Amino acid sequence: MPPLQVDRTAPPPPGELRAFRFPPFLRRTLPGGLTVYAARLAGVPLVSLELIARAGGQHDPTPPISPISKAGLATFTASLLDEGSARRDALEIAAWIERLGGYLSSAADWDSAYVAAALLAEHTADGLDLLAEIALSPTFPEPEIERIRRQRAAELLRRGYDPSSQADDKLFEVIYAGTPYAAPLLGREDTLESLVRDDVVAFYESHYSLNGATVIAVGDLDPEELIRDVEKTLAPRSGQEPAPAGPEINPAPLDGVVVHVVDRPGASQTELRLGHAGVKRTDPDYLALTVMNMLLGGKFTSRINLNLRERHGYTYGASTRFAGRLGPGPFVVDAAVSTASAGAAVREVLGELRRIREEPVEPHEMHETVSYMMGVYPYTLQTIGDVAKRLEVLAVYGLPDDHYDGYADRLAAATREQILEAAHRHLHPERIAVVAVGPADEVVPQLEGLGEVTVHRRPEPAAG
Amino acid sequence: MTLTASEPAAALQHELPFERATLGNGLRVVLHPDRSLPLVAINLWYHVGSKNERPGRTGFAHLFEHMLFQGSQHVGTNDHFRHLQQVGGVANGSTWFDRTNYYETLPAHHLDLGLWLESDRMGFLLPALTRETLDTQRDVVMNERRQRVDNQPYGRASERIHELLYPADHPYHWPVIGYMDDIAAATLEDVRQFFRTYYAPNNAVLTLAGDLDPDEALRRVEAWFGEIPAGPPVPPVSSMLAPLGGERREVIEDDVRLPRIYIAFRGPAYGRRGWYAGDMLAGALSGGKSSALYRDLVYERQIAQDVGAWISPYEEVATFMIVSTARPGVEAGVLETAILEHLDRAAVEPPRAADFERSRHRMLTEFYSGLQKLDNRADLFSQFTTYFDDPGGVAREADRYLEIEPRELTEYAAAHCSADQRVVVTVVPRASR
Repeated sequence: MPPLQVDRTAPPPPGELRAFRFPPFLRRTLPGGLTVYAARLAGVPLVSLELIARAGGQHDPTPPISPISKAGLATFTASLLDEGSARRDALEIAAWIERLGGYLSSAADWDSAYVAAALLAEHTADGLDLLAEIALSPTFPEPEIERIRRQRAAELLRRGYDPSSQADDKLFEVIYAGTPYAAPLLGREDTLESLVRDDVVAFYESHYSLNGATVIAVGDLDPEELIRDVEKTLAPRSGQEPAPAGPEINPAPLDGVVVHVVDRPGASQTELRLGHAGVKRTDPDYLALTVMNMLLGGKFTSRINLNLRERHGYTYGASTRFAGRLGPGPFVVDAAVSTASAGAAVREVLGELRRIREEPVEPHEMHETVSYMMGVYPYTLQTIGDVAKRLEVLAVYGLPDDHYDGYADRLAAATREQILEAAHRHLHPERIAVVAVGPADEVVPQLEGLGEVTVHRRPEPAAG
Repeated sequence: MTLTASEPAAALQHELPFERATLGNGLRVVLHPDRSLPLVAINLWYHVGSKNERPGRTGFAHLFEHMLFQGSQHVGTNDHFRHLQQVGGVANGSTWFDRTNYYETLPAHHLDLGLWLESDRMGFLLPALTRETLDTQRDVVMNERRQRVDNQPYGRASERIHELLYPADHPYHWPVIGYMDDIAAATLEDVRQFFRTYYAPNNAVLTLAGDLDPDEALRRVEAWFGEIPAGPPVPPVSSMLAPLGGERREVIEDDVRLPRIYIAFRGPAYGRRGWYAGDMLAGALSGGKSSALYRDLVYERQIAQDVGAWISPYEEVATFMIVSTARPGVEAGVLETAILEHLDRAAVEPPRAADFERSRHRMLTEFYSGLQKLDNRADLFSQFTTYFDDPGGVAREADRYLEIEPRELTEYAAAHCSADQRVVVTVVPRASR
């Protein structure tokens, strides 16, 4: 064959597009109310199995609905599931799965609790047995409760000295005051100390019903056979009352721009967060907001990253996100900046937020963003874990089975007008919290004039 | 529901077909077809890292990596990412002690776009270098250092370990990201000289993985890269090491509440049989709640918040490290005593069968799990070709672990983890002012 000639002066044209479809999966709701999603992905001999219960942090008892705050109860309960079952103690459970090279985790996010196992495909049936055992017969032994409590207390202490966590925690405390989202998922020191075994048992009894729960299985497996296995192991135990729906979470809008500086004397950099409450995952504007966010701060070539990093060199990276939750998840801008540029960086971000909600985005930006989101789609579906995550989204937010099949068409149909409208409705640069974690003496003067400034100084650590 | 120790999880044979070629200018090319998704991963390793720098001029390989995203003769300043992202590409680069890599995963029909961008910055970089882009990237990198090291709790510890474990003239002594003063001092002429010395096709490996036809893909590689001239041979790196000659210790005060201890040793270079034994030992000691260290320190005695052990895959000499964070009220010395008891025992007693078996299976599931992503696989092919001129090594990696016998873990601990070879760094809460 003759050698190819290349033209370096312009981007080479693409070849022929090859089609991609979301992997097929089975969904079946069994008698008793347990739903199973199963997908075969046979690239490597591994499987991912998980049981999802409606037991996320949004259910943490919170005033005024509850007399006292029990922030952290949902994640505390979830983390205790694998610390003892009717058949085995905590170490026996860990040793069993680890000996097979597998991983077991039990945890909760704001929406749901997840008991998950990843292991070699040949151990799929055993893995399901294990999930059933720990999800259905946890014993919550007192010594394990105390051990996990101390571990979480130490983790809270660590977070209090980690600038990135400090910034997140302060932002959510400010923008979600009076709602479960205001506290870290882990809870606070005071609530953690107050939780007792009865709280955990009561939370488990009322929120871990299999009626309304979901099993997601992805990997080198036969979906029909998997569903039969679930019928044998888990389905006989379902048929309880369904778990209660979550509370309505309605944070009050902020009064204006509110500035909170968390003092970190001597810090060599300042962690910035700007944010406010956003929308539910099921909001009709969610797709338009996803496109808008991608263009604004969701990718490397986004407006905010190019501005703060490539134009000004203020930061190693800046990004934005709308977090999808059952309730109105946050809109957050995130950057660690050199302290001398903190004020300038905040003003640049606020300027970008105003611009995108007042002026239509440029046609070439719109094209680049939509094209990126369509092109990157197969990349985000390479692994068993990737596909399991997407099925979780269908299950947790009640989206239809063909949701992903229509994704490319919905993206292609998004317009600049929709982006502008969505930005206008859901971005609020005039009612936003600005959090800066850094040396207050240097940061506060730079942030004056934006809005009311509150400075938080760390109490001296107790002796000992 | 039990698995016997002899049951070979090694029976997991994974298909990793590849073809290789070397262009006339010395560029080594690996082609790995896998048509399961309409994607192609392009992965380019240059055999240059921070070990090629010298004291006083550190951080250069990494700063240079940033400059390679600032355009080249036919690609505008901010256009590298823009071209890739607008077709749905995911791209980045990274710098390590031994190498620098650049990679992008694209929809397969945009293969030429990636080859255009990579060949332009390999062959036509110098005309695009400007003082403005260098000034900005220097600021970006200084912020990267602040974010990852200086403003990160415990962030200075791993830097200090390398400074103590390797002497001042050894190429692993200084951190990859470099020291702030050195980063600030980098000049445009430094950038040019570095490019001429190290960024030539004969010092690089290019892997293409994914939805491609190897013959056709090679033809395209030849078209884009074939005309770039070879460079002079790369200057060798001297990494001779005298024994540490006694324990070295240091205490760092930091803005933290929980003390943390780092215990480190030198180990055999990546690729040696001993390295795999070291990795298996790390896995037997930590990794999972049922592991020896976790069970003892975190679960039973509850003196530690976490504990981990690992060995780094370096080309000249490895670093074997154990790290543990104390529970509130526990001194780092208590952790040290406990960890050293385990290490001393590991040097005389074989690992428990359950620990050995867990370590073995975990290596395998991690390895296979990592193969799921096309970009990881491409990176592995480049790695084995760069270090060992052996792309087939990827498929044999699992066997390297399975060959290791329990007694080799004991031999490893006895040979490499003795008191006179260790560095101990503790990070403690800064005294109240």
